[in-house]
Amino acid sequence: MRGRWTKRILAVYFVVFLLFLYGPMIVMAALSFQGPQGAVTFPMRGLGFHWWDELLNGSRADTIRETAIRSLELSIVCGLVVAVLAFTLSMGYRRRFRFDGVLFYLIMLALMTPGILLSLGTAFFWQFLDLETSLWQTALGTSVVWGLPFAFLIMVAVWNRYDNTVEEASRDLGASGLRTFREVTLPLVWTGLLGAFLFGFTLAWNEYDRIALLAAGENTLPLEIFALTVGSVIRPDLYALGTATTAVSLIAVILFLLVAAIVLRRRARTVTPQEGYAELATDGNGAVPAGAPASRAR
Amino acid sequence: MSDSSGREDRPAGLNVEEIVEAEQVVGERAPEEVALGEKERRDARGRQALTTAAWTAPGALWLLFFLFAPVVMILLVSFWTRTVSGFESVWTLENYEFLFDSNVYWDQLWNSFWHSLVIVALSLVLGFPVAYFLAICVTSLRYQIALFIVALAPFWTSYLIRAVAWIPMMGRQGALNTALQEVGLISEPLDILLFSDFAVTVAMLQLYILFMVAPIFFMLAQIDRSSLEAARDLGANAFKTFREVVLPQSAPGIVIGSIFVFILTMGEFATVRIIGGGTVSSVGTIVQTQVASVQFPQAAASAVFLVLAMILGVFVLLRFANLREDL
Repeated sequence: MRGRWTKRILAVYFVVFLLFLYGPMIVMAALSFQGPQGAVTFPMRGLGFHWWDELLNGSRADTIRETAIRSLELSIVCGLVVAVLAFTLSMGYRRRFRFDGVLFYLIMLALMTPGILLSLGTAFFWQFLDLETSLWQTALGTSVVWGLPFAFLIMVAVWNRYDNTVEEASRDLGASGLRTFREVTLPLVWTGLLGAFLFGFTLAWNEYDRIALLAAGENTLPLEIFALTVGSVIRPDLYALGTATTAVSLIAVILFLLVAAIVLRRRARTVTPQEGYAELATDGNGAVPAGAPASRAR
Repeated sequence: MSDSSGREDRPAGLNVEEIVEAEQVVGERAPEEVALGEKERRDARGRQALTTAAWTAPGALWLLFFLFAPVVMILLVSFWTRTVSGFESVWTLENYEFLFDSNVYWDQLWNSFWHSLVIVALSLVLGFPVAYFLAICVTSLRYQIALFIVALAPFWTSYLIRAVAWIPMMGRQGALNTALQEVGLISEPLDILLFSDFAVTVAMLQLYILFMVAPIFFMLAQIDRSSLEAARDLGANAFKTFREVVLPQSAPGIVIGSIFVFILTMGEFATVRIIGGGTVSSVGTIVQTQVASVQFPQAAASAVFLVLAMILGVFVLLRFANLREDL
């Protein structure tokens, strides 16, 4: 009886928590659909797409479109680099090696270093090397550093659940290393790689601190948003822009979840060897056929 | 991969340590390796090491270049001399002398330190029930995953935008003031809601509480629910069950979450700038101002002490966790 009440109270609390998380964003989205008289706070003044129109066709539209495309390119490249680096790093971690502890701390340092410091230090380092900072070198570099530890942890989790014997079986059947990789390893871990890409993409898409001093005049969307917020009077078209970028992030997440769900469902439908043997075993008189390996707990 | 000869007989379903252990044992005593001569064995080891080096090199180099070198640079530049265009490598202690004379900086560092600890405490108190609800009360795995994703999705959205989104909530005519007036709790709009410490705290809480909820959730989700029932059957009341079963299990998650929230809020500056207007500052905004006026070595020195304060804070949090375990 008491347990059920705890549960109910916590359920209500959870809903309040979600309101706290999503409320401001919903209010912002609502306020972006005001008429021309619209202001940045309630009450809503009129309804319509005026500020979305302003965003897409107004005086700032060209800059915003330019920065949005740049952001999209940077985020996609960042996602790819993060996925590749997280994959190779995690491959190394499938066995112990001499500096695995040190390298692990370095990866965790990437998680712990405040963005503003990374930005500042990189700017110093490039000045020290007598090089110019630029979007595709420094900003990409620090964005990848932000996404990498998350992606690495995902890949480590993937390998922990991975059954190494399938690779060995493939080799025993005569497949080359490359073929084993392409036809056995990759199909089993690519959802993890997709997750790694998702982190690389969304974290770069939204990053401000780590890029702030490094983009050298080539603003990405977050830099543009910061400039619009701090440097000028806020208008509802900023809310429209915010709603749009949030939508891009959420669509990326939802796409990933859809793909993952489809893959998992399909994988659940294919019969694993153990299940195959179990089926054979229970078929007929229930005797285990000769040559079937003892079933193992997975 | 082609380098795994000699570990065919590894049983499936072991955890990492066991695998590593098994690997070491196999690596030392595998019959085919024993049969090999000393030289061949060394060659095999060398090949393995090379393969591992090849796998880890790209990531390691990237991190050395874009993480380790910049952090070292900050330390170096803090001891270098300021020039018109930035810095030159002439050693000096001037930056630190300047820093030690600046009361504003130390007040701010102290403020940021406490502010971050307060946010850690608040996010723990407010976030723990969420993690508990998701991990313990939701029994269907499908709902658990779905609700967890709903709660975590904001992590993948822009923190700048989430900070901006507080503006229509907080202002004098913001949603909160309007709602409070409608209900009749206040007659005059509250001024403290925007461009204030309060506003910054609320916004940061919303931004970073996920970093507290997620690790606690992952720890609690590993609790065997039958152990909770067992505790109840053995006569433990709700409080005792919580203290003896739930709290110890979630302790590592609490520590990890606290460290996350502490460090992220300590180094924060964009949110402070947006929500705090010009009236609230943090160490981050001080560093930013120094950078804007091309005082790079001084910015570096400020950053060094920011990091030292963070390390101190992490030690405090770890200490606290140890104390908890000892009790």
